[in-house]
Amino acid sequence: MNELKQICKEALTEKKARFIIAYREDKNKKTKPFIARTPEDAEQIIFNHQAVNNLAVYFPRFKNSGEGKIGIVVKSCDLKAVTALIQENQIKRDDLFIIGVNCSGVVRDTTMEFSNDNTQIKCKYCQAKTPPYYDELAEESKEFEMPDDDQAELMARIEKMSSDERLEFWSAEFEKCIKCYACRQVCPMCYCEKCIVEKSEPQWIDTSSTARGNFSWNIIRAFHMAGRCIGCHECERACPMDIPLTLLTRKMGMVASSEFGYRHGMSLTEPALIGTYSTSDKEDFIK
Amino acid sequence: MEEYIVSLDNLKKIADELLNNHCRVIGTTSENKFKELNYAEELVLNPGAVPTSSSFKEFFFPKTEPLFFYKQNHSNVDLFNPIQDKSKIVIIGAKPCDAASLPIISKVFNWDYKDDLFNSRYDNSLIIGMSCHYSDEFCFCNDLGSSPENMKGSDVFLKPLADNYFKVVSVTPKGAEFINEYQKYFEKDLGKNKSLERKEENPKHFDYDKVKTWLDNNFENKFWDTAGEMCLGCAQCAFVCPTCHCFDIVDEQNGSCAGRRAKNWDACQFSLFTKHASGHNPRDNQEKRYRQRISHKFKYYMDKFDEVLCTGCGRCSRGCPVSLDILQIVEEINSLSGNSNSIQ
Ligand code: SF4
Ligand code: SF4
Ligand code: SF4
Ligand code: SF4
Ligand code: SF4
Repeated sequence: MNELKQICKEALTEKKARFIIAYREDKNKKTKPFIARTPEDAEQIIFNHQAVNNLAVYFPRFKNSGEGKIGIVVKSCDLKAVTALIQENQIKRDDLFIIGVNCSGVVRDTTMEFSNDNTQIKCKYCQAKTPPYYDELAEESKEFEMPDDDQAELMARIEKMSSDERLEFWSAEFEKCIKCYACRQVCPMCYCEKCIVEKSEPQWIDTSSTARGNFSWNIIRAFHMAGRCIGCHECERACPMDIPLTLLTRKMGMVASSEFGYRHGMSLTEPALIGTYSTSDKEDFIK
Repeated sequence: MEEYIVSLDNLKKIADELLNNHCRVIGTTSENKFKELNYAEELVLNPGAVPTSSSFKEFFFPKTEPLFFYKQNHSNVDLFNPIQDKSKIVIIGAKPCDAASLPIISKVFNWDYKDDLFNSRYDNSLIIGMSCHYSDEFCFCNDLGSSPENMKGSDVFLKPLADNYFKVVSVTPKGAEFINEYQKYFEKDLGKNKSLERKEENPKHFDYDKVKTWLDNNFENKFWDTAGEMCLGCAQCAFVCPTCHCFDIVDEQNGSCAGRRAKNWDACQFSLFTKHASGHNPRDNQEKRYRQRISHKFKYYMDKFDEVLCTGCGRCSRGCPVSLDILQIVEEINSLSGNSNSIQ
């Protein structure tokens, strides 16, 4: 714990970063994102099982915001978003000061203690508790028992459904959507300055929260995430209507991996799948 | 006046009768959500439950609703009015922080323009409130002149007693009429059922008048640069809030020459909310948009309608993806207000 504070303090004192996007605890002991600008601010920095947010979501705000590196505290899963944003030319590695933290899982429900029953789905299949690269690394990772990946079971069940049954499943889920766009706003990969739902001349996607409007929104969001979702599960956590959004994005990541041998956010040098074309690209799985 | 009590079983029988009389009966369920009940057994009344994640406003002010439909007919356009469900709405088990929202938003819906859509539902409704035995770090009804026993907005109010009974308080003439109509389900209160009291008092956090004075004088204050800095600009807070009432009006095509004009929820945390056709956006960053949220709730609405646009239910904070806590923000303002004349 102190190690992380120390690293951040030094980084700010020695101007290795002009500010650091990190976590702090508020007076109710709730862990939340904040920006540490001074070495004194760094005193507040913490990391724990409640550090759920993917802080890479704040990058677009600092585009062209001045000279000097942006510091960020990242878990291994968050780093995938950083890498993906570098691959998609949204940010440069050289403009970042990355403080990795070893992670031993984060909660699914932030109102409860971390436990086997209260672990994010992503932690259940996380493959690297230590970020693969960083400028500084803090914290010892503690082993934790990985609970069952219950989402995989649900995915298998949905795959076995007929298309009518699937339509029924998703209609019931999407009907709940209230178009608050929290799923979009928390997503580090949703950085378009103008989202397609905001394009009103003509209006491509109904803004109404009707069956049609909700389907269009949720499906277009899923499509735009095809092979781009890095699996932080923030969309699902943020959704106030408890729609299992990552079923779609995770599935598409799995397709990208099985059909193109590609996983987004895993390599700084590999071009992004969605932005490259190869004559050997398969299309036989498109039905 | 006679004092009454009612059993949970009888409340459900009332709900059944209401359903049979084609009323829309809205109550909390085992999932702790407000739902239009299909049958009375779905109703679960738990005064100790946390406020539902979404408020019940959608039953008065739906997330989307058609204003009219249009269809092109050669060189003319035919307009059609949507069929409105005129059924009576009965809410059972509203917490004080839910029920109080209706008279508050009714003011804006009846200001310069009378919103028939809202009024037709609200006028034809009956709100059965219930005292609340829950409290967490996000609740602050007490600070806004309300309390877990407050009956504002309720027509009938229930106070939990032992053995699944409730003491019944008639709050409005509408409520009295209702009790009269369903008299056979109510029993005289012989004082035999022990009343279930709240375990603890809700703490006080701030002095609203001080907060208001500070807001009156500090539109430009560096506090705003960081208050909403981490806000992501979704509308979770506004859409789950019982008192947020902003909407947008859109035309939507359906087929080649037909469509509808709809009224949809909107929120000031969206960047598009204040974007002008010229491209200019007076609230061009999230910090300004967050200032709007706080100011509208705790200042502008008070200036205009003599009400705080907040009931202290804490929903917005419980659901915020970045844990921005409206109570802590107001508490910070309260502590700044010690020197409220220093405009920075
Ligand atoms: S779609 Fe969801 S899981 Fe994927 S990157 Fe975005 S927020 Fe994370
Ligand atoms: S967060 Fe959930 S309710 Fe909000 S727009 Fe996304 S899917 Fe819909
Ligand atoms: S305060 Fe929280 S819920 Fe509201 S817009 Fe900001 S991030 Fe979303
Ligand atoms: S602003 Fe927050 S606390 Fe106030 S009424 Fe709305 S949801 Fe409840
Ligand atoms: S706080 Fe914002 S969304 Fe809510 S009523 Fe006020 S302006 Fe509308």
